[in-house]
Amino acid sequence: MMNILEVKNLVKSFDEKIIHRGISFSLEVGETIGLLGHSGTGKSVLLRSLIGLEHIDEGEVYFHQKRIDHLTEQQLYAIRTKISYSFQNAALFDSISVFENIAYPLFEHTKLTEEQVEVRVRDILKTVNMEDAIELMPSDLSGGMQKRVGLARSMVLNPEILLYDEPTAGLDPVNVEMVLEVMNRFKSKGLSGILVTHDIPTARKICDRILILKEGTIGFNGTIEDFDKSDDPFVQSFLLGQ
Amino acid sequence: MIKAHVTHNLKVLGEIVVLTKDCFCCTFTRPFYWGRLFEQIINLGVGSLSITIVIGVVTGLVMTLQFGYGLAKFGGTLYVPAIVSLSLMRELAPIFTSLLIAGRIGSGISAEIAAMNVTQQIDAIRALGTNPVRVLVVPRVLATIFSLPLLATLSAFMGIIGGLSIAYSEFAMPAGFYINKVLSTVQFTDVFGSMFKCAFFGFIISIVACYRGFQTTEGTKGVGAATTWVVVTTSIIILISDFFLSKLLILIFD
Repeated sequence: MMNILEVKNLVKSFDEKIIHRGISFSLEVGETIGLLGHSGTGKSVLLRSLIGLEHIDEGEVYFHQKRIDHLTEQQLYAIRTKISYSFQNAALFDSISVFENIAYPLFEHTKLTEEQVEVRVRDILKTVNMEDAIELMPSDLSGGMQKRVGLARSMVLNPEILLYDEPTAGLDPVNVEMVLEVMNRFKSKGLSGILVTHDIPTARKICDRILILKEGTIGFNGTIEDFDKSDDPFVQSFLLGQ
Repeated sequence: MIKAHVTHNLKVLGEIVVLTKDCFCCTFTRPFYWGRLFEQIINLGVGSLSITIVIGVVTGLVMTLQFGYGLAKFGGTLYVPAIVSLSLMRELAPIFTSLLIAGRIGSGISAEIAAMNVTQQIDAIRALGTNPVRVLVVPRVLATIFSLPLLATLSAFMGIIGGLSIAYSEFAMPAGFYINKVLSTVQFTDVFGSMFKCAFFGFIISIVACYRGFQTTEGTKGVGAATTWVVVTTSIIILISDFFLSKLLILIFD
């Protein structure tokens, strides 16, 4: 299979604190990687670094074999329509409605008419089972509903990669299942993804491969089967929640 | 300690200059958000109308009252229309309106952008492939630059009307005399100078407010601190720069 995204020796620090000490991995077309690690190991920072929301100190990031880490903010805008980011708190624009939130990237990046935009927004809302919320404001939605609308907004431009930052964190089991169902639908459409999560059962349901961050490096990189069979003390301790 | 303070302030100044440059570039390149600009003009400009009128009228009333009784001792009541109208147009209306707008709009802009920042909405704008400066800063800066001169001119006009009512009722000054004196005193250059100063103050208020909003990181506490910082900083800049702008305008026009 072909790499759609590749990271080589990524180093990132905040002032004196080194977060990543040379991270390398690749994402294949249609694959979903689960990015695990204890709190504070820099999972979200790594995700943000991939699309330039954080500047990296060293290393290289390639998208379709083209280097993107050195691009300017202006040049990255085009990349971010192909690599979408779903925020942990959904980050919906709270002063505009659900429809306007999802329509925003369409009005910005496409030449669709208002009618076509509405059709597209309704379609994507149907995919996340939120078609009845189109007129509502983000403050009218529960946490789970906001996350699904956030996922819809991330998907509306048909990106090639979706970066999920803890999409199930803080949700009740029913909402977790709903979000997972949405993610599985996206995956079945051939979308590649990287999922940051603390939740191993969630990772098992969605991911093809697991990466575990350990002290700024990749402590484990393997398939779900490798993960389950691993006798590595670090993986074992992670599985046991230690 | 002093060196660190100076270094920090120079860094802030540099970042504001960079934001100004980005704002300038985004203003003259596509896409331009006309809808957002009109929305901000309504929010910032039209929303400030009532308080601007109150400030203008009350200033005119008080000025006329004080100058009227003060100058009456020297037989100078006839000079009240000229003094009140000129001081309102040149200084009081621009300064009072700008300080008021720094409080009302400056704090509002910084609180809104700061809240968006701490809830990752600014990151979301970037992640969706759009420029937060273009989306958020340009409409607010242009709306404030456009609205503030008009508000200050309105404030001065209302002050002159307020002055007329007191001059007529307290000092039995004929309305025609008052209006003639105002029209012969206030020149186009006074109105232009006032609007120029207000456009500058409007730019300072909005760019500093946007800058502080973008820099806010410490949750709700940070939002509160940002609004206070913006009101204090912009008020000081307005008061100090007013002297230099007044001097400049006098050199040019007088």
